[in-house]
Amino acid sequence: MERIVHAWLGLAVSEQTSFLIKSAIFLFFTGATLFFALGASYPAVHDTLHNVRHALAIVPCH
Amino acid sequence: MIRLSALAYLGFALSLLVSPVWADELNVYFKTTPGFEHLRPYADPAILSLLVTDANGRPLKDGSVALRLDAPRSGVFFSTDFPWVEGTRLQEVQLNLRQGRANWKYLFPIRGEYRLAVSVSTADGRKANKEFTFNVRENEKKWGALAAFSAGLFCLGLIAGRVFTAAAAAPKQTAIIILALLSASTGRAETNSASQDPSAVLEVAPATVGRPTVVRWRFINAVDPSRVLLSLAIVHLEKGKTVFGVERISVPGEFAMNFQFTDGAEYRLIAVGEQPGSMPIRTEKTISATALEPPTKAMLPAFGYFIALIGAGLIAGRWSKRRVP
Repeated sequence: MERIVHAWLGLAVSEQTSFLIKSAIFLFFTGATLFFALGASYPAVHDTLHNVRHALAIVPCH
Repeated sequence: MIRLSALAYLGFALSLLVSPVWADELNVYFKTTPGFEHLRPYADPAILSLLVTDANGRPLKDGSVALRLDAPRSGVFFSTDFPWVEGTRLQEVQLNLRQGRANWKYLFPIRGEYRLAVSVSTADGRKANKEFTFNVRENEKKWGALAAFSAGLFCLGLIAGRVFTAAAAAPKQTAIIILALLSASTGRAETNSASQDPSAVLEVAPATVGRPTVVRWRFINAVDPSRVLLSLAIVHLEKGKTVFGVERISVPGEFAMNFQFTDGAEYRLIAVGEQPGSMPIRTEKTISATALEPPTKAMLPAFGYFIALIGAGLIAGRWSKRRVP
């Protein structure tokens, strides 16, 4: 991450900032994956994970 | 003038005295089998029983009960798995009392506090109303699954937090989550297919989750409409469970109720009408209840909770990594 930022922007990134950037990217992708898996209405995904949604008690389904 | 006001007071006082006595003439009792504490959503159908007695405790001979069952209201934060069902009317039905009793089967769809309003009418014109509330607890297996899933998300965040913290020393590979998406989309069966027997008709209005649907059955050419016995079952085909059922209730040649199909799935309705001295008439109908997408306000708390768990894992992972010299 530090190398990428350095190569693109020519900036040195502290370890804390690097952690924050990585964490934000990680949270974005895991959140998107969770939403796609448990919240999307796309039939193939919904039908496959329908029982998982209901098994988790707090994830709304149709 | 004084006399008139005194009479008015007397009348008011008498009405206060008379009303409770009139209402107390009928006692209404309600129970479920299994008991309330054992009821779970989408487990097995429960048998709901009403008993109406007179003031002496004798079961009422003639009469009917109008029932109205309402679903639990929405929770403070988290939704149930059927958000459109929350706070809606589940069923409205009138049943004739047999020896003071009325029984029916019902499969409770969600956790929470249900409200059952009962209105009793007797053949001699007496009436009584009563409302019962009872709680259906969530299936313990679901709470277990949620706890395991939450622990998994926290561990995912914890590992990521450790990896990201150590990245300054040496580049690490970040795990990429790949979901294997199986295309299991299958075409829905033809909706509202019906096979009708010529001497009985079963009609169901288009069903949508979140609002009651009219279910109507009627006997055609009944010899004596007052002596028709009806057995009606509504079966959730995917789960293979009976979500509503009444057995051999006496109906005046026809029966109608408002019933909510709480899941966007296929249901089979099976009605059997019986008349003395003739063969039972069986009518079946398969319907597909239209599903609705969950509202955003029901989804946000759950996904916010999941992401917060991963975030907490990230912080814990970083903390654990930095704590070790």
